[in-house]
Amino acid sequence: MKVTFPHMGNVWIIIKTLFEMLNVEVIVPPLTSKKTLDLGTKISPESACLPFKINLGNYIEAAQEGADTIAITGGIGPCRFGYYGELQRQILKDAGYSYEAVILEPPDGSIPGLLKRIRYLAGNHNSWGRIMKTIYFAYQKSVAIDRVEDLIHAARPRLENKPATELLYQKALASLVSVTSYRGLEEVVRSVQQEIAERQAVQNYQSGSGSDPLRIGIVGEIYTILDPFSSADIEKQLGFLGAEVDRSIYLSGWVGKHVFQGLAKGYRSMKSYPRLAKPYLGHFVGGHGQETVGSAVKFAQKGYDGIIQILPLTCMPEIVAAGILPRIQEACNIPVMTLTVDEHTGNAGIQTRLEAFVDLLERSNCLRKKVPKELVSLERMC
Amino acid sequence: MKIGFPRALYYFDYYPFWAGFFYNLDIELVTSEPTHRGIMESGLKMAHDETCLPVKLLAGHINSLKDVDYIFLPRMVSVEEKTYLCPKFLGIPESVSAAVDGDIPVITVTINWREGQNQVLKALEAFGLKLGKGKAMIRNAFQEALKWQTMYGELRRSGEDFEESLDLCEKSFTILPRETSLKLAKTNQYKVCENREPRPGIALVGHAYLVNERYANLDLVNKLRANVDLKLIEETETKAVENSLKGLRKKMFWSQAKKILGAGYSYVDDETVDGVIYLSCFGCGMDSVSQDMLARRARKAHKPYMVITLDEHSGEAGLVTRIEAFVDMIVRRIENESNLSAYGKCLDNN
Ligand code: SF4
Repeated sequence: MKVTFPHMGNVWIIIKTLFEMLNVEVIVPPLTSKKTLDLGTKISPESACLPFKINLGNYIEAAQEGADTIAITGGIGPCRFGYYGELQRQILKDAGYSYEAVILEPPDGSIPGLLKRIRYLAGNHNSWGRIMKTIYFAYQKSVAIDRVEDLIHAARPRLENKPATELLYQKALASLVSVTSYRGLEEVVRSVQQEIAERQAVQNYQSGSGSDPLRIGIVGEIYTILDPFSSADIEKQLGFLGAEVDRSIYLSGWVGKHVFQGLAKGYRSMKSYPRLAKPYLGHFVGGHGQETVGSAVKFAQKGYDGIIQILPLTCMPEIVAAGILPRIQEACNIPVMTLTVDEHTGNAGIQTRLEAFVDLLERSNCLRKKVPKELVSLERMC
Repeated sequence: MKIGFPRALYYFDYYPFWAGFFYNLDIELVTSEPTHRGIMESGLKMAHDETCLPVKLLAGHINSLKDVDYIFLPRMVSVEEKTYLCPKFLGIPESVSAAVDGDIPVITVTINWREGQNQVLKALEAFGLKLGKGKAMIRNAFQEALKWQTMYGELRRSGEDFEESLDLCEKSFTILPRETSLKLAKTNQYKVCENREPRPGIALVGHAYLVNERYANLDLVNKLRANVDLKLIEETETKAVENSLKGLRKKMFWSQAKKILGAGYSYVDDETVDGVIYLSCFGCGMDSVSQDMLARRARKAHKPYMVITLDEHSGEAGLVTRIEAFVDMIVRRIENESNLSAYGKCLDNN
């Protein structure tokens, strides 16, 4: 058995770790590219969403490298993602790829059924204790990734040497891939922190401390906000335009919610979102629609300068949220922009819209509340 | 007190329930007019660009409701165990009324059958109390509402069309005694199919608010009825629908898709059905799953299959041509059945 899985931003680092530490052969699909998307689009239903198409492409490319089993999470609705695993299995089969799909969910609510599936993937050579320990370590790794990402979000608009920042980020991710101890995780995060602090010190010494960057909150459908390919690397682009970004969902939050059923809360908890959303959307709507609304309120309350929602074309929960965001824009007096993405979205198009949005925020800058100047603020440490 | 009920979306599946409920609460329910150009246009203008046609139409209908005290927009989360309705149904009260933004207050109640009938009743009690009605009255109204809905279902299965069924259902509880209306329904049914040449059998599947929305679908049902023996989901036995879903590896979690797929699969296996048409609409997220699944099944069984995707620009001429081509293909196929096989011919996608 050679297991593969769909890409979603940095999630591959976690899943690779998980399977490798359990001695299960895993094939990481080639990083998502234009070609991946083309391959996926060709055999997807036309009105499926962008993540669906990308993932089908991932499976095809992984099959070319010998993968025969897909591990994917499931769901019981109402978001259609819950049915994707099964539909994709059918599509791949009809297209001539003989994949087995293991959907990690309790079938008809049965926990033993879920355990059986995990056992199937992990093989008989792993004890449950070892499986649980490994899952927990993988989770901690996702927290480390989130912390690194967050530091980079802060560094991008502030450090002048942009390529050096990207290099730092890539290097940190590369070391995280192979780390197998908790101490190792801590060290990577520390070293990123330190390097940023040093560079900023030098920069401040040479040219004085710059002004505070704009702050933009990114909300929306989880896949597209976690996966840079599907959103034309919006976080990096905004960083280069001088804005500091934060987003509504972090990888570990997702792992905590889906794998630990909310018992582990992740690097940045999403718990407050439903409560914050309540005055605008009093019920969950599947996917992360209510979280989108709630996090938009949170960003507004925290004095962010603007909010960007990413919506994969035809995504039902996010369309509901998109219908409500104008109310928040009005009530909280914060500019909101919705970016719809699909397989035809070009990077250039997104870039122009981001530039225009940042421009707009800069012009209304005088109303802005002050943000703390030091880079590694307390909030980031906890 | 007058409550406005938009003639869109859940109207086409669940109006009898709500009509029965409010009738027995002694509350006047006013529906918006059948869709016309003005309603459609205002809906297109007001609703969120990316949303689907049925939700856009809903926005138009909400906007067209005048002279009522409240607009009623239920939040229909689930209508049976272990399923949901489309995510958009879950957010209707907030997201669509945000788009329309009129002066008439919106009232809502959450219907969630996942947690059982008692929870539904509880929610309705709280809702009814706010409207100033007593508990006993509300309980009775709920029981009656279920009867209305059942009666509507029976009428549809007996072959009565959508509008007739609604009408008869309402009358049978308000004017005529129940028996009379059922008999009426039966006689009507037999009148239709006497002395006819055998015609091709075609099944039309899709969301009730597309199939029964005569304006938006350019009267597709009657256009088809003029040429073929038409089968609709509502006329198909629930048993057949459920049975044909048994083979699914993963249970379908949307009620709408369950009906469409269950009926669709049964048509694919049904020898009296010569072809299947899936009526979909632009921007429907659910159909991207269920349409694709049905298309695969039809292709494997070599059943002629066609998708019609409605959008705000759907034109009469294009639709007629496509139907004609499909029906012609099927007729030819039937004629050639024994010798020349046309198997595998499929007109999926536009
Ligand atoms: S099921 Fe499709 S058509 Fe119906 S409301 Fe949802 S997205 Fe719209």
